[in-house]
Amino acid sequence: MAEMWITMGPQHPMTHGLWTMRVKVDGETITDTEAELGYIHRGVEKICEARDFTQITPYCDRLCYVSAMTWSHSYVMAAEDLLEAEVPERAEYIRLMAAEIQRLASHLMWLGAFGPDIGNLTLMTWCLRDREMFLDLLQELGGSRMHYNFPRVGGVKRDIPIGWADRMRAKVKLFEHRISEYEMLLDESTIWLVRLQGVGYATAEDQINAGVTGPNIRAAGVNTDARWTNPYSVYDQVDWEPAVEKPTSIKGADCYDRYRVRMEEMRQSCRMLLDAIEKIPGGSNTHYQPGDEMILTKAPTRAPEGATGFSTYECTRGVSQFYLQGGGDSRGKNPYRVSVRSPIFITIPYVAKLMIGYKIADIPAIMGSFDPCIGESDR
Amino acid sequence: MGIAITKEQNSIAASAIADAISKRFSDGGVNAESVAHSNDKKFDFVRITCEPNRWRAVAKWMRYEGGVNHCSMVTGTHFPDGPAERGWEVVVHLMKWPISNVAAHTMVVHDASKFKTEDVPMEFEVVIPLAAGDSPTVPTVQDIWVGADWNEKETWDLVGIDFEGHVNMHRVLNPHDSPIGFHPLQRQHKIRYHDFNEMYDDPQGFGRKPVDEGRVK
Repeated sequence: MAEMWITMGPQHPMTHGLWTMRVKVDGETITDTEAELGYIHRGVEKICEARDFTQITPYCDRLCYVSAMTWSHSYVMAAEDLLEAEVPERAEYIRLMAAEIQRLASHLMWLGAFGPDIGNLTLMTWCLRDREMFLDLLQELGGSRMHYNFPRVGGVKRDIPIGWADRMRAKVKLFEHRISEYEMLLDESTIWLVRLQGVGYATAEDQINAGVTGPNIRAAGVNTDARWTNPYSVYDQVDWEPAVEKPTSIKGADCYDRYRVRMEEMRQSCRMLLDAIEKIPGGSNTHYQPGDEMILTKAPTRAPEGATGFSTYECTRGVSQFYLQGGGDSRGKNPYRVSVRSPIFITIPYVAKLMIGYKIADIPAIMGSFDPCIGESDR
Repeated sequence: MGIAITKEQNSIAASAIADAISKRFSDGGVNAESVAHSNDKKFDFVRITCEPNRWRAVAKWMRYEGGVNHCSMVTGTHFPDGPAERGWEVVVHLMKWPISNVAAHTMVVHDASKFKTEDVPMEFEVVIPLAAGDSPTVPTVQDIWVGADWNEKETWDLVGIDFEGHVNMHRVLNPHDSPIGFHPLQRQHKIRYHDFNEMYDDPQGFGRKPVDEGRVK
């Protein structure tokens, strides 16, 4: 049969964002693909060169609008490396909890968007219902639902409010039961299993060579996680272990494994949150004023010439990295160069090539299982 | 708890790798050292300063003998006011992860306390200074790490550094019909508020005008 090119996107439900995948098909079978990105390229790296270190944080929130807290946290860690700032331990605990709540919210958004792709509309409403609980918690910290601008170079903007710990405990405990509900809905659904099992195989070594990180690689049977291989914050003090899934084939993890590993990761985030709120220095039901030395240390604002800062951070979709170059006196308080490593930017071309050999109907399942986010990949 | 790599493990591994690279490339052009992040909670990494003509040799050694299996980021920087030997700079960040394929229905759960020195995960920063001029060029490592492919595309697209030998180079973030030679992260391109702080210098916004004001449209 004659082969032909089909353009999926930029307005296709499969894309989970704004990008185009050109697919070459032979009948129903995919024989070649090409990914095209850049539809929402905003030039964040260029803008950041004209901003000082504090003003950059809101831009990093907007890199990924589903997982803003982790991205600004990642930037702030690089800035602390560049400016040689220290972070109080209470602030590290607050940041850890904020990032894990964000991870829950982000995975729920992923699951909610993935469900309709596979044909389960109930999932969307359930996930968005539960995501609201966590957005409310983050709103109490940062002041808004999506872009929090919460971490500061040297600490956090404000302390946890009085009563936040109790609300967080109640919501996390409720959500632990809800995860089981999701599993009852999904793991016994024939449609869910048939469409996810046996498609989109990816081995661990192929993925790491291609630059894929995060839950996608943990689904292939290795517990590699930047939270313990490149430890930061206080992840070595709280109770957790990396979510990891046994792949179902020698060919690697399929879409079902990648779904399972994220469900397990949400459980681990809940476990971490409940443990961290017990161990937080200064008490979980105290509120220090903004700027108190328990939550914020004064950081230098000017970077010396030739200094560099670098952070490796386990974002919700993989390892995000920031690389900053300081500019010396001529640059004032601004960095000379800000470079962002987005996990999804490198994942998308890999996934596009992974689809060769599968059917057109498998495209939403494979693409969705890798959790694409175009905000961060286009920057 | 207790699964994290300790600082001692990390610093021993970093200096071991730096020594191995220095020994292998002792004939000049490559300098490897173990560097600590400034924040003392964070760990050491290996910084390699390398001339562009040695970069492929270093990359091959790292990939096939050093076990560095992940190219995470390629950064290009333009220094128009810099010295003649450092008008541009390419910084490649690499990672070494303890990752191997597993059989079906099994998994590998690493325990960090049992890692041998050569298995410890490690960050690498390869700094390649390039001479000033109109055509900065560095050899590609696209065929060594698949992950370097789109990173190099992005660096060429945004910064304009040519990767010699890169197959299928094209724009990835800028529009495909951008003018030839247009690379927005080069320093001659100013954004509207470069060297101008609108928060303090023009809080009311009276001075803000579109950059193309006066142009016949």
